Amino acid sequence: MPVLPLDELQLTETDPKTGKLRTLPALHPEMKADQSFVLYKPPPKVRDPALVEEFLERAKFIADDLNWLLALPHDKFWCQVIFDETLQKCLDSYLCHAPRKFDASFDFPPEVNDMQKCLHQSVFLTFLRMSTHKESKEHFITPSVFGEILYNNFLFDIPKILDLCALFGKGNGTLLQKMIENIFTQQSSYFSDLNETVPTILQVFNNVLQECGLQCDGASAKPQKLEERVKVTPSAMPLQALKDIVLYLCDTCTTLWAFLDVFPLACQTFQKHDFCYRLASFYELAIPELESAIKRRTCEDKSLLADLWRRLSHSRKKVVEIFHILINQICLQPILESSYENIQPFIEEFLQIFTSVLQERRFLCDYDELFPVADDVSLLQQASSALDDTRTAYILQAVESAWEGVERRKTPVVKSPP
Amino acid sequence: MALPRLTGALRSFSNVTKQDDYSEESGDLMNKRSKLHKQLMSSELTWKKIVKFVEDSLDKKEQQSVNGHLTTILQAAKQIVGTENGQEAIESGAVFLFKTFHMKECVGHDETKAIKQMFGPFPSSSATAACNATCRIASYFTEEQLTALIRIAEEQNGDNRVFFGKNIVFSFDMHDLDHSEELPINGEAAEQKTISLDY
Repeated sequence: MPVLPLDELQLTETDPKTGKLRTLPALHPEMKADQSFVLYKPPPKVRDPALVEEFLERAKFIADDLNWLLALPHDKFWCQVIFDETLQKCLDSYLCHAPRKFDASFDFPPEVNDMQKCLHQSVFLTFLRMSTHKESKEHFITPSVFGEILYNNFLFDIPKILDLCALFGKGNGTLLQKMIENIFTQQSSYFSDLNETVPTILQVFNNVLQECGLQCDGASAKPQKLEERVKVTPSAMPLQALKDIVLYLCDTCTTLWAFLDVFPLACQTFQKHDFCYRLASFYELAIPELESAIKRRTCEDKSLLADLWRRLSHSRKKVVEIFHILINQICLQPILESSYENIQPFIEEFLQIFTSVLQERRFLCDYDELFPVADDVSLLQQASSALDDTRTAYILQAVESAWEGVERRKTPVVKSPP
Repeated sequence: MALPRLTGALRSFSNVTKQDDYSEESGDLMNKRSKLHKQLMSSELTWKKIVKFVEDSLDKKEQQSVNGHLTTILQAAKQIVGTENGQEAIESGAVFLFKTFHMKECVGHDETKAIKQMFGPFPSSSATAACNATCRIASYFTEEQLTALIRIAEEQNGDNRVFFGKNIVFSFDMHDLDHSEELPINGEAAEQKTISLDY
């Protein structure tokens, strides 16, 4: 007899109210156990024994409950995941509040670290099981129904996927890549959601510019209202406000980079919104201003300023790396992988993207330092004999000219002998 | 205060997430504690089963001695649980104490925490008395006999089921800040003029 997928399975059991036998779909709210998951709260930043104890109690409840969940049979696991709102909120609260390693470092007591590790693993395994539609030959869900279940119940959404990449992308990247690819493959609506999310991500960059009192799209066109408070530049703003901006920028850049690193297939969706140009333009406006604001502060908390500088440098690198992932995925990889007659659109895209960012001189230098533009142009030249040399020469000249405008010298790239 | 996050902004300002209301969750810890209490009350392993296990496994002389220890555990449970909760709650508490101490020689940090988590603040002398009494009872039995008795409860809780992902190699490595150049001490250093005191 063929084994049915979980979504078609019916189970016969005794009705606890009437005592009579009844048949219910295997995925039914009444099959859910009454478990009550608690919300996750991050470890306390101060070594207050009462707060530590509360954290440990809460975390132990979650770890025990997740271990119980992971030990459930396939049908019971999915009933709990779909119909238990407390579980969904618990997982979401972990993704929102779990400390990232790139957050300000705190010296937690050993028992807190141990508990946090235990929880971290259980949360990952729960999401792993949730992104697996076929656990074994006997235990599986119809792929299309699986996609609907994930999407309609918000088991995964774009912010959750970004959080997963920020939290687990480093050590568990291969597994995470498979999970996210499977989610997007079984439910294409996630691509639509991503497309709807990109303008909000761009708005986050715009908000940073606005907070810094810097011009950005649209905002500069409007005259300032009389009752509006005057925007303070980063150099003049209180240190706490500057710190908030740098922390926000650091989290934004790292999370975005972690996501694109794990799931580069998202690049096309980002570029539909002219993301490369918007990113370079943001970099050009915000980074020098923020750098200067940190450097000019000489009379304030030195260790905090050093920390902010480190975060800003990290954010700079991440922006450049995001740009490179996009270029690589949208243009360079397809050029390498396509046949000669099909590569022209990708070459054109490359030329257009670089032409659009030529006025962003600081960005261009920083990008060229990490990923030499000449190398990519050389790849283009090798791939196509019909390449417009005037356009590539124009781009390379603009890169050279950008280097002339900055104080530092271009580091010569030392190539190892073959 | 929560750190500013990109995903926080996306949750607030995009329409691709479920807008959850977390306001009802303030008492979730209290609810969880009371739920655990209820689970304890409906445990498969009851005090009567423990008493019967002792009666069936030991001869009369040994039973008399063990009965005294069982009474001690029950009295300790009364102190810890409180008499206002009734005999059923006290017996469930005694089962919990027996399960907690059956393989322990003294009241350690973990045991204290487990009892406090289940019943709130409790007199430590009662816990010590329960621990000593359980140890003495346990000395009459082999480890296998005790494990078989305790497993009655574990089977109900599914503790012996296969754990999803037990063979997956999990890494605790996380994204960290990239190494970068240090903050130039005083950005205008190059522009500063050297002050000479050599007049």
